[in-house]
Amino acid sequence: MLKLRNIMLRRILIVYSSILLLTSVLFSQEKIHHGSVTEPDIYPSFMWATAQLIPSPEWVTSADGLRFGMRWQLTPLLYSFGINKKLSPWRYFIVEPLIRQSGSVELFFTPEYLNLEDKLKDKWLFRGGARIYIPLWQRGEYMSASLAVSYYNFNGVNGISYEGGIYLFAGILGFQTTYSPSFTNSEWIFTIRLRYF
Amino acid sequence: MRRKRIEEINHKGRKSQRKLVIVSMISLAIIFNSCTAILSTSNSVGSSFSALFGSSQKIENKITDPVRDDARLAVLWVGHATLLIQIDDKIILTDPVFTETIAFISKRLIEPGIEPENLPDIDVTLISHLHADHLSFGSLDMIESKVKELLVPQEGLVYIPNYDFESNELKTWHTWEKDGLKITSVPVLHNGMRYGLDAKWLDKSYTGYVIQYKGITVYFSGDTGYEPGTTIFKETGEKFPNIDLAFLPIAPIHPREYSKGRHTDPSDAVKIMRELNAKKMMPMHFDTFAESYDTLGEAESTMHAVMKRENLTEDEIILFNIGEQKTIIPK
Repeated sequence: MLKLRNIMLRRILIVYSSILLLTSVLFSQEKIHHGSVTEPDIYPSFMWATAQLIPSPEWVTSADGLRFGMRWQLTPLLYSFGINKKLSPWRYFIVEPLIRQSGSVELFFTPEYLNLEDKLKDKWLFRGGARIYIPLWQRGEYMSASLAVSYYNFNGVNGISYEGGIYLFAGILGFQTTYSPSFTNSEWIFTIRLRYF
Repeated sequence: MRRKRIEEINHKGRKSQRKLVIVSMISLAIIFNSCTAILSTSNSVGSSFSALFGSSQKIENKITDPVRDDARLAVLWVGHATLLIQIDDKIILTDPVFTETIAFISKRLIEPGIEPENLPDIDVTLISHLHADHLSFGSLDMIESKVKELLVPQEGLVYIPNYDFESNELKTWHTWEKDGLKITSVPVLHNGMRYGLDAKWLDKSYTGYVIQYKGITVYFSGDTGYEPGTTIFKETGEKFPNIDLAFLPIAPIHPREYSKGRHTDPSDAVKIMRELNAKKMMPMHFDTFAESYDTLGEAESTMHAVMKRENLTEDEIILFNIGEQKTIIPK
């Protein structure tokens, strides 16, 4: 059990380091000025990387009632249609809250821990998908909503999920409901989405 | 009358402190940054906080037609750093905030000094920095049809979503000009982030502005601190030797150790006024939102004490009430 946990931790560390390395390379370019417009010189920091480790708690339905879970989220690519038209609408991994919540489409990758099986290695669900954010109040900073579709793998079983969400405080706090029609006994997942950049 | 109003608000504030503590704990103030809200996470809430869910204090007989034919320079204090400035036929609005709260967190104590629908067409709107008490998307939505152009500091455009009006960045010491109206971005001491983590890359997105039109020169600092030995204000004063009026913040006063270098108190504001060599100063950025440890009225009474100590007259330091309009230079 301890060995398995170590392997899992090592894998997480490798993924985490790879993301940091990848984002460092992606964001190593100089600050771009064109005319009177300055593209933000976004780059990964220790604080950002640490913030990505904060899990969003969730509860999944099962034959025995609700089971606890956790969700982490990554955004490899985002196109913002809320951002000022003079600036680049593209973001990779690091996304400012307003740029996401003011209206955007993102590709996301989500590892999830679901306490449905006995063994640790069997508790992991991996999900990839696309999500659209729609601003509702104060350009999405006060409130926004999302719709998503994703494809998941849980212990070798694949399926499609549909998700709706609502967000407050520039998207830092949100509530998501995920419906997976073919995920027997675990069709519904309710998530308190915590996200900072 | 003013004292009674202040006592009423302070009493209301004490009653609702407990309610506000709960909300503040989840307010994520450390992330959703207003100029001073960041304090609330490491300390308790301020003593001047008013009821979070109550309505703000009403202003009687608000001005509905703010354009003054008899004025060369007239100012209406809308509240906080929101000022409606008229220089002859040009109208300038600074840091417009008309909303009831700042980012859900800080409650407005006194309603805006003018209704957004009563604003005239605005030639240029200035945003000094990106903090939520100076850049309010809801407020820009309210005045979108009135605004011709918006100026923001360098790096600031990233947090200006798409509106109907034109928006542009202005780098420090650069000048924007239209029909004889000149706006120059000038350096101040503050910070430019909005959500906390973005402080890493938004290190230039705060500014002051000098406004010039037909021989009248006005200085608007936005938020600034003061450090002894800093030369930026003297340099601004040398480049603009005839500043008729300087708008300078006089709060938050407390806690001084934290605010030093970021926010001026009345004493610091007077030092800046003198380094700018400005003829007159209008204090701002006080008693509008529940976002500091100051008690209501404290900034104003401290300002009076500093005026007495420094032998400054009421003609040199012009204190406004929110909603009040004054002619500074008549025709």
